[in-house]
Order: sequence, then structure tokens, then C-alpha cells
Amino acid sequence: MTTMDNDVVGTVPTTGTFDVSTIVKNHRVHGSVYTSPEIFHREMETIFRTGWVYVAHESEVAEPGDYLTRRIGRDPVVVAHGKDGVIRVLQNRCSHRANRLCNAESGNATSFRCPYHGWTFSNDGSLTAVPMRDGYGEEFAKVRASLGMVETPRVDSYGGFIFASLAPDGISLKEHLGGAMGAIDRVLDLSPTGKIDLSRGWMKHLHHANWKMVVENNVDGYHALFTHASVYDAIRPAKVSHVPSKVQTVVRDLGGGHSEIDYSAEYRKLDEEFVWYGRIPRAKLPEYVEALEKAHGPEKAHDVLVIGPSHTLIWPNLFLAEMNVMYVEPVATDETIAYTAAVIVPGQEKLNERTMRRSEGAMGPAGFLIADDGEIGMRNQAGLAARGPEWLELSRGLETDVEDETGIVNHDKSAETPQRGFYRQWASVVGQEIPA
Amino acid sequence: MTMIAAQDQPAVPLNLGAAPGPLPAPDADIVSFLTYEARLADEARYSEWEQLWDDDALYWVPMRPDDDPAKKLSYIYDNRNRIKSRVAQLNTGNRHSQTPPSVMRRLISNMEVTETDEAAGTVTVASNFALFEYRYTQRVWAGRVIHQVRRTPDGLRLVRKTVHLISAGGPVDTLAFLI
Repeated sequence: MTTMDNDVVGTVPTTGTFDVSTIVKNHRVHGSVYTSPEIFHREMETIFRTGWVYVAHESEVAEPGDYLTRRIGRDPVVVAHGKDGVIRVLQNRCSHRANRLCNAESGNATSFRCPYHGWTFSNDGSLTAVPMRDGYGEEFAKVRASLGMVETPRVDSYGGFIFASLAPDGISLKEHLGGAMGAIDRVLDLSPTGKIDLSRGWMKHLHHANWKMVVENNVDGYHALFTHASVYDAIRPAKVSHVPSKVQTVVRDLGGGHSEIDYSAEYRKLDEEFVWYGRIPRAKLPEYVEALEKAHGPEKAHDVLVIGPSHTLIWPNLFLAEMNVMYVEPVATDETIAYTAAVIVPGQEKLNERTMRRSEGAMGPAGFLIADDGEIGMRNQAGLAARGPEWLELSRGLETDVEDETGIVNHDKSAETPQRGFYRQWASVVGQEIPA
Repeated sequence: MTMIAAQDQPAVPLNLGAAPGPLPAPDADIVSFLTYEARLADEARYSEWEQLWDDDALYWVPMRPDDDPAKKLSYIYDNRNRIKSRVAQLNTGNRHSQTPPSVMRRLISNMEVTETDEAAGTVTVASNFALFEYRYTQRVWAGRVIHQVRRTPDGLRLVRKTVHLISAGGPVDTLAFLI
């Protein structure tokens, strides 16, 4: 872990407000944003405590009693589908002496019993049993009703993606998603039922890099020709060229920290289905194509199969990675866990098996793509130990960005427009007041 | 309050389908073949390693030992064609996560024959392994490895290799070398 250059940045306070303009300009960021423990602390207190954070997908807790353990920033939580049908996000901590209550990754249970002293909580979070209660007196009776598992004040979902906010007040989820809602819709359009399923398991990959390095890279249209050259050289050419001048692929800052690489214009120009899916002929997936045409009509189904899924980062921790979904969990300034699931289309097993095999090929710790992204991220973090230059450059395409109704677009897919959008949002959040 | 939340599941159960009693050791030629496979993987001799595989190959690293790969995502699920691609990528010398390649030595031991199919000419051997990897820092990987080997007129061929990592519960470090 490196320390930041105090000469330039000054001291980063861990409470109160902080003038972020000392470390983030509109087209460059200071190296300390990736290495400073104080900045990491501020991120956890602001981005992950005040805003909406992706926690789980409804398909993973489909039945009453289903639960999962996850994190919001550094807070361990239980995502629990209560017997009343409500999905809650509860702090994973016994209200008695703070033992982590739920230790399995997932399961089905109507209640959680603390293994330490046997306190028992319903899966709606309420405290239902305290063993040997005669040992408690009036003081306990006064507070007993308030000793449920602490419920995350705001939980909402869109398209099955469950988001939570640890802050009681703030913008609605729909306002938060803004321009990124269309990216979720684009994935759902690929399912004849309008629903997707993410319950086939998450690959858990340890990245030795700051969490922002991991997510920024997901919408970087510049690196593929270099980082992933070995795939294109040895196995198959890229689905469409990564040379910006040869394609109509764009990058887009959707606002609110969300951004994407959008291949749809290029794919529509080719007017060919499944370019994004190994160029498989539609005859190989007749049941799927038929169901999709039944759902959308032949014209829209064709367009959906031409443009394929989205390649979109949803601020701060969710990446719609075409037929995969990735989310990240920051661990420390230089450590991040990336979780990746395959996008499963209910009822389309032929498609789904192929999708899982494609996920394993590209993603996760052994994936042909992501293993190398992980390596590059680790080397980025290692490079930051060098104190100079102090700033990272994000100016590519700055003069060619154009604003339209969809956001800030750059027709050069290698432009750093998504990263500039990411840090504009970052700067608006990380400097805000942190209570002492 | 009938059901109680399940506690942590062990990442690798103690029994992976082998019979409860002592099992025979493999024949000497099988032991040599598995030791050779380990040495080729350790020494990043990718193309020679690839040559060990038969056409109906499966190289599998599941996330949980009892997963059905048709229903659950794995870390690696390579058929023969995917193995070829994996090796081709490593052979570019530009697979950054293996450039430079990991320096490795693995021990493979406790070999037990769990199944012999005379008609198919296959022998299944379950072993424990410990792998020491050095790349910037030293890491240890360990688990149960199950090889299915076929006797052919051209010698022994590898049909199936399943690696149950004790750390499969994750998070898993980058696994771009041949495990």
C-alpha cells in the first residue's frame, strides 16, 4: 500500500467535508485516489453509505425463506425473502453481542439463531426468542422491541436487480438509475419472459487492485487491442473491430456515474443477429428465437438479436457485462473481489448452457479475458507505488465528446468519456460531509 | 421457528464418491503418466501437455464438488476445443496473467483407483495435490484431483481431469496457469 503525496493533496480528512478538486480534475485523477486509506475510508462512508448499491438479484431469493449473505461497502448484510413476501436487507449482526448471525452464503430458513447465546430472529428481522429470559429485567424489557436485526432503510429493485441504500433519505432508485435503466431493459429484452435469472452461481475472483480500477476497465474501449491481443491472435478475431476508426461503436457517459460501450450502431449497420454471441446462426437456437418472436413480434425480435445485451457500468458496483453480470466488493485500497454470474434466460436451456460455457471462457479467475484484466489491474496498482507522475490522464476524446439526449457520447470507442463521467460522479459524492 | 439458518458448508466434502475402504494403488504406468502430466503443467510445456488429451476431453474446475455443470457455473469447464484455445492463448507469450509464467512445483499423492472400466479401457484415479506457485509472491493451491486415463493402442491418453480446489469457495486468485 502506498501513501499519497501530501505535498500536492494535503491531508484527507476522514470526517467532515473534503475539497475533492485537489485530487480530481475533469480529465485527470491523482494517484492517491487508488492508494490512500483515508480516501478509501471516505468512499466507504459516502458512496457505499449514502447512495444506492447493487446487492442481489431477485432470482437468487425467489422463494419465501431464501436468503443470501452479501456486503454493502464493508457492512455484512443478509438479503432475506421474508415469509410475508417482502425482500429485506438486514445487517448481519446479532443485536445482543454483535456475533455475525448468518454464516452460510445462501440457504432457506424462516429464522436465524445466533450460535453464541441462542438469540433468534425471524427472517423479517424481528427478535423472536431470547433464551433464559428470566435473567433480564426492566431495563431490557424497555428496549427489547427495538432489538431486531437492523434493517437497511431503503431497498428497491428494477428488472429484478435489488439495490439498497444505507441512508434513510435520498433520490429514488429510478432517479439514481436514470439513463442506465435502458441498459437493464436491453438485457431483459433478450428474455421471452422479460425476466432473467442469476442463480447459477457467482465466480469469485480476487483482484489485487483498487475497486475503481476494476470497474473503470469494464467500460474502457481502448485496452482490448493490447490487454486482450492474445485472445484475438490465438483464438478468434474480435466480434467487431477494436480499431475505433473502423466501427460505429460508441462510448457513452450516461450521467450519475453510469457509462457504457454501445455496440448497437455497429451491429445494426451489419444487420446480423448474434454477432455478440459468437455469430451463431439462429437455426441453432430455434426454440429461443421462436419464443422471442412470440414475445416481441418478428421485427423487434430481430433487432433485439442484432443489438444484443448491454455493456454498461451501473454506478458504483454493478457491471452488465453482456451475457454476464459482474459486481464488485471493495476490500482494501489494493484489493477487490469481483463476482460474475451468467445471464440465464428462463426456459431456454440450450441457450443457457452455451451462455455458461461462454462465461467460463471469458470471465472469472481462469477466463481468457478477465484473468488478464486482473493482471493489468494488479500492475496498475504496483505502478502507483512510483510517485511520479502524480496524475493519471483521462483526456482521450475530451474535445470530441458530444452531448445528446442519451448522455455524453464519443464516436471514438477508445475515448475516456466513461471514465470522465465516473470521476465526475465520484467527485460529487466523496467530498460530501461525513459525520464525526 | 422450525428451520434454522444453515451453517458454513465445507468447500470440499470428505467423501468424493470413493469407496469407504482402502482402494488399490494405480499401476506403475498410470502413476508415471500422472506424474508426467504434473511435470508438463508445472513447467509450462503447454503444447506437450495438450498432446496428452484425448478427443472427448474434459478439464473441469467446479465451484462446488457436487455441482452439475449443466446447471451451475464452473471456474473452468474446457472441452477439447477449449483446451486447444487455452493452450494457444498461453503459447502467444502475450497472455499477460502468465507472462512471465508462474514458477510451479506440485506434489500429487495418495493416489487411489476409484474405478476401472475394462470395456472402455479407462482407469479413474483420485489423488490429493499441493501446488506451490511463485509469481511475484508465493501461493499454495491444494485439493483433490481426479484423472480419468484411457489405454489406447498409441499409449495412455487423458480423458478427464477434475480439480476440486479446497479454496473453491473463493475468492480465488487468478488461475491462468494449468492447475
